[in-house]
Amino acid sequence: MAEVIFYPQNKSINVKEGTTILQAARNAGVIIESPCNGAGTCGKCKVRLDRESLQKVLAKGKHHLSEDEEKQGYVLACETQIIGDIKVYVSENQQNSTLKILSRGQSFDISLEPLIRKEYFIEENLTKVFAGRNQLGMEVGDTREKNYGAVVDIGTTTLVVSLVNLNDGTEIGTSSSLNPQAVHAQDVLSRIKFSSDAKGLGIMYSGLIHEINFMIGEIAFSAGISQKNIYEIIFSGNTCMIHLASNTSPEALGKYPYTPKINGAAYLSALQHNIDISPFGIIYLPPIISAYVGADIVSGVLASQLHKKKGITLFIDIGTNGEMVIGLNGNLSAASTAAGPAFEGMNITCGMRAGKGAIEFFEIDKHGSINIKVIGETEATGICGSGLLDIVGELVAHGVIKKNGNFVDPESTNNLYPALTERLVKQDGKLTFKITDKVFLSQKDVRQVQLAKGAIRAGIEFLLENKGVKVTEVDKVLIAGSFGYHLRGKSLINIGLLPKEFDGKIEFIGNTSLSGAKAFLLNRTYRGRMEEAVRSVEVLELANHKDFDKVFVKCLSF
Amino acid sequence: MSVGKEELFKELSDAVVNMDEDETVLLSTKVIVDGYDAYEAIDKGLADGMDRAGKLFEEEEYFIPELLMCSDAMYAGLDVLKPHIKLDSEGERYRVVIGVVEGDTHDIGKNLVKIMLESAGFEVFDLGRDIPPIRFVEKAKEVNAKIIALSTLMTTTMDGMEEVINILNQHNIRDQYKVMVGGGPISQRFADKIGADGYSVNAAEAVRLARKLVGGAA
Repeated sequence: MAEVIFYPQNKSINVKEGTTILQAARNAGVIIESPCNGAGTCGKCKVRLDRESLQKVLAKGKHHLSEDEEKQGYVLACETQIIGDIKVYVSENQQNSTLKILSRGQSFDISLEPLIRKEYFIEENLTKVFAGRNQLGMEVGDTREKNYGAVVDIGTTTLVVSLVNLNDGTEIGTSSSLNPQAVHAQDVLSRIKFSSDAKGLGIMYSGLIHEINFMIGEIAFSAGISQKNIYEIIFSGNTCMIHLASNTSPEALGKYPYTPKINGAAYLSALQHNIDISPFGIIYLPPIISAYVGADIVSGVLASQLHKKKGITLFIDIGTNGEMVIGLNGNLSAASTAAGPAFEGMNITCGMRAGKGAIEFFEIDKHGSINIKVIGETEATGICGSGLLDIVGELVAHGVIKKNGNFVDPESTNNLYPALTERLVKQDGKLTFKITDKVFLSQKDVRQVQLAKGAIRAGIEFLLENKGVKVTEVDKVLIAGSFGYHLRGKSLINIGLLPKEFDGKIEFIGNTSLSGAKAFLLNRTYRGRMEEAVRSVEVLELANHKDFDKVFVKCLSF
Repeated sequence: MSVGKEELFKELSDAVVNMDEDETVLLSTKVIVDGYDAYEAIDKGLADGMDRAGKLFEEEEYFIPELLMCSDAMYAGLDVLKPHIKLDSEGERYRVVIGVVEGDTHDIGKNLVKIMLESAGFEVFDLGRDIPPIRFVEKAKEVNAKIIALSTLMTTTMDGMEEVINILNQHNIRDQYKVMVGGGPISQRFADKIGADGYSVNAAEAVRLARKLVGGAA
């Protein structure tokens, strides 16, 4: 056995020799970013060892580290085996404590008609709790005043809980945190794989339930509310998250033909799922459209009233997967495309999540000097998704990046601001764009952005073409999701993720997975209506279209 | 006026690199008119051009669209030159069975590798996507392939690659084939773990790997 101590957490654990540092960290409950789930492909799990510890590990995967990093003692946690007692320093980038999480989303006028209803029977001095016509249980005394519900937006990366008073629809409080599942497997596919056996599924499920209970408890406690007076919870999230939250194996989602095992539109017992609310409380799962267009999108459709909108509206959730729904006078068609993790700052040399030190905003002014905004207003240590799109967008708009994605050759161009030309410097023989002394954009990073935006743009083109809609005919473009909320329309158009014809029609509607779930909670009639709407949604499987390749490749250029 | 043979092949190679389909066709026609050997023109002109395009791709100078435009030019030239190949000059080409493993339908990466292997002179049998492990083995046996090339984009389907190798082992024919793997979630370590013969990070490197696996030139 070998002892591993993690700093700054100061947590230690004993592991068998041959265990990787990443595995040891997971066992010790220390979070190390591992977007590729330890496949050794992303290089994001680097940690630092002191000189003595370096002698007690077998390190591989050095191709992801720069010479400097190697000298400083950095190794990849997933590729480094422990063979003796070591000390591991987890870098500050890994600390997600300041992660930006969005708990607001567009909504509409909701008439209050919750499923949960309380009736007081004066003679028995009992309050009966009903879900529609069904009696759920009874409480002694008159408890009509205490009637609460909650919604949980189960994101792949983040969780948001909102506690709501069902008597008047007001919000009691919200809480947000990281999805604890991400410690074991970051993206949806890794999570599907992790959960493919009973043990893995158990870890995913119980970890999530535990965190949800904690968050509900936190809000209830600070509002002075008893959790026993919460009677219904809505789970909103992508299809995989809904599977995991209900202890259902998501295995089938990971293999063609990508068939969900459950389709939502169902009620579960809170007690059976160890959700710490009223013992007769219930959980509602909104309907699911397909394996990759989930309950979060259905909540989004409800929140944005897409199914009722006149004209042509395009709803897009930009993330690792780009989900999109087009509404033609309320008739809905949906598709999803695999954008990859670039928009989360992953697979990008200086990429990081939207936490402290991340460049979240970038602009070139009319003299060619750059303005940046860094989360936490500290020195920049990396680039998060919104910053990345800003940077690439601005560089394309100012001719630093050519249409084909290449940096211009600073020696053969004189159309650039000198201030920009100066920033094009070679590193290891390749051109990079220097943003600060520490943070830069590489040619490879631009390629990653091209792939990600190409996938989403191709999805849009396909959806429009399939419906016979010209880009100019689209009346409104709604960008949902907490990532999308931090983006700027200008950047989305500059990089060509959206056609330039969408200029002026873009609206950022925030976390509609949460606001839509709240609508489900506050008015039960939306459930049946959305279940019906979902049944008539047409799902386009893009990968099955012969020409998708060609459209995708065309969409790679700027 | 007739330019020299080597010079013409060089121009042909340049036309491919420059993504100039019309010029490639024109020069290919000129090869025939001037009575040069079609096979040699493919080898030293078209294939050489794709080889250079592959290098530019690896150097991040070219990206997928450029690579595909180069291959469009190459295929257009091939259409002109192929009917004029003397039967015996082609020699024996190594055969590759390629496909996306079962459960996955993402095939853009596989298609790129296929193009690059073809342009490097391999004869490629493309099974398509969502292919059960046994089909790779059956096809490789049927066409007497040297290489089985497996691709996937999804973490959830990558274990199918190991299954192909297991089947080869069970049938005691593992040593008759080289297995190469690639795709988003794949790494050298994964390749080592499942006992594959090689991993390549992109389509250009796949050509080099394939050449190495069959022992030198294709």
